[in-house]
Amino acid sequence: MGSSRLRAAGDWLEQRLGLRPLFEGSAGHLVPSNASSWWYVFGSATLVCLVMQIATGICLALVYVPSADQAWESLQHLDFEQPFGWYLRGLHYWGSNFMVALMTLHMIQVFLFGAYKYPRELTWLCGCLLFLCTLGLAFTGQVLRFDQNAYWGLGIGVSIMGRIPLLGESLTSLVLGGPILAAETLTRFFSLHVFVLPGLVITLVVLHLRMVLHNGINEFPTRGRGVDPETYDAEYAELIERTGEPFFPNAIHKDLLFSAVVIGSILACAAIFGPKLPNGPPDPTLIDTVPRPDFYFLALFSVFALLPPYMETFLIVYVMPVVVLALFAIPFVSRSGAKHPADRPVAVAGVVLVMTTVMTLAVLGLSSDWSPHMDAWKSVAVPVEMVEGRSPLELRGAAVLQAKQCRNCHALDGSGGKRGPDLGDVATRLTEDQLIRQVLQGGGNMPAYGKNLSPPEVAALVAFLRTLSPADAAIAQNSADPLGG
Amino acid sequence: MSAARETRRSRFRALLAVSVVVLSACDSLPGKPDPADRYVRPDAVMDFETLFAANCTGCHGEGGRQGPAPLLGDPLYLAYAGPRELRRIVSDGVPGTSMPAFLDEKGGTLRAAQIDALVAGMQASWGMAGRFAGRRLPPYRGTRGGDAGLAYARARGRASFQIFCAKCHAAQGGGTPKAGSVFEPSFLALVSDQGLRTAVVAGRPDLGMPAYYAHAVGRPMSDEEIADVVTWMAAHRVEFPGRPFSQAAPFVGKEP
Repeated sequence: MGSSRLRAAGDWLEQRLGLRPLFEGSAGHLVPSNASSWWYVFGSATLVCLVMQIATGICLALVYVPSADQAWESLQHLDFEQPFGWYLRGLHYWGSNFMVALMTLHMIQVFLFGAYKYPRELTWLCGCLLFLCTLGLAFTGQVLRFDQNAYWGLGIGVSIMGRIPLLGESLTSLVLGGPILAAETLTRFFSLHVFVLPGLVITLVVLHLRMVLHNGINEFPTRGRGVDPETYDAEYAELIERTGEPFFPNAIHKDLLFSAVVIGSILACAAIFGPKLPNGPPDPTLIDTVPRPDFYFLALFSVFALLPPYMETFLIVYVMPVVVLALFAIPFVSRSGAKHPADRPVAVAGVVLVMTTVMTLAVLGLSSDWSPHMDAWKSVAVPVEMVEGRSPLELRGAAVLQAKQCRNCHALDGSGGKRGPDLGDVATRLTEDQLIRQVLQGGGNMPAYGKNLSPPEVAALVAFLRTLSPADAAIAQNSADPLGG
Repeated sequence: MSAARETRRSRFRALLAVSVVVLSACDSLPGKPDPADRYVRPDAVMDFETLFAANCTGCHGEGGRQGPAPLLGDPLYLAYAGPRELRRIVSDGVPGTSMPAFLDEKGGTLRAAQIDALVAGMQASWGMAGRFAGRRLPPYRGTRGGDAGLAYARARGRASFQIFCAKCHAAQGGGTPKAGSVFEPSFLALVSDQGLRTAVVAGRPDLGMPAYYAHAVGRPMSDEEIADVVTWMAAHRVEFPGRPFSQAAPFVGKEP
């Protein structure tokens, strides 16, 4: 009784809207049965993340105040006062992390399966643009946190832009809304993050999906079988005819299951790890800060920190555009040929190389040992075993080591700055004369301290450093001295 | 009919109870930001332990225990120095030594109120105010004889040094395996007379150096003996400490 009435209402609607052909042409389209694979779930999961980001983003925009003096405060309100405000921020933060990670996985899978080859070149191109837009969303989102990371991160981002010949200055002022980072900057990034980029992403996603439907989903690659643009269309049509099954309800179940796992993971991560708290207001007078970008930009952060300064402009102006263009050019350079990863060792090696490089740089960026630990001199204690049994002069030397901020770059048994070598066993490496020379003249990336230390300070410092060796290790001796002398 | 309604109602109640429990559990999820993690500007931090960890630990050790600089977690030292002197030292630093000025007006990073919080915190956490209530401690500032009395004070200081210090620092102050030299010119250049006095009075119990009253001799050092020992040690300062040559280099002052 009830169901027939429902069906009648459905028919009435269908008669007027004509949704069935649309549904059959999209969700019901035929896919090769071998494409119903666990390898094919990353794209749909990225889309699910996008939907979640839009939903949580709308909720956040209800509270967030996009003004330079209140943005940071409104996040504090969300984190600490608004009930479940922190959870909402956590969902948006983890959603963005998952989205970038899944998008990267999707891209790698598409590349390894040769899915970008004929006739799906434009689908790849569209995906690359989506990749860039998503990174843009991640960067602008990081700016909206409007904390010290945002402030200094944006400073670096804009400096990168400022290196572009001729256009640099105009671009900088376009992005910042003036010559400096100020109130207008935040509103610009707000409109980019909330209107421009999401609009672009939605448009590109529609285009991307349209092309997936039009060209059909890539068949699971077979060893030894490649793409020949002359015959591919006929082969694919034959494959669909032979093994095709509707995406909905047949092939979709893996996507649904994986998306559910992704949603569950985002919900759980937000609940367990919470949101990323803003790390202090964007006030350039607060110098006690170690700005660090979110994980997707850590690799870039490391590259810029580790690169010699004269290489920076070259990298920004030439290498980065070339890398992006190379990404776009992949399907046009390698339009046909083998698809299976086992037939394309260079492609696989390329992915491994790129991912290893990016991951290594990101891990380095996490600890950013190249930055001095600016508070170590007053906040990191001298290990107790390096205090015990020391003479009054050596104790003074340890105090000099701290007070002259040697500790900001040099660790003692692992604690302290990591920019210079650990001094915990320095006595085994350098003789007294070598230590004095190194302290006075510097060298090897260390400044000369000759003019900042008095002779007694040098004497005390070196006396202390000469005590730093593991219990059973011999101390470095001047080779010109007679043995035992 | 009414039984079914009853079941429905009890089901609804159970659901309500579960939702209340779940929602209240949500409030104690591990991801919920701890108000203690809320950002505090460095110049607004007033918590003693945070201030001490961020500013003093480097030289004075964690919790004021066993760093290269004087032992702050020592009730005797805190009673002997007193809040006024502590505040002055933290604010202005000790010129010529490794102790920098921490007051913002003097180039440091702390506001006067934060320094007050540090001093009050040290006294409250490690001070044991009652322990020295009945005892007369040596005054923080010692006296030093005038020019006429200086030679005499040194002679007396030398004698007192033999009694109280020579056991560990050797008769000539050159140090023994137990404790190093205290006449080393570079050491003396990096410590003020007041610092020497503080070391003699408070000792370094963490490093095995006894306080003025705890010597093996069996009696405490008198005020005069403390002052004389300091005078004797200070007498070993040299004009050009820390140089491998004993006198000023010949070219000093002769540049065109």
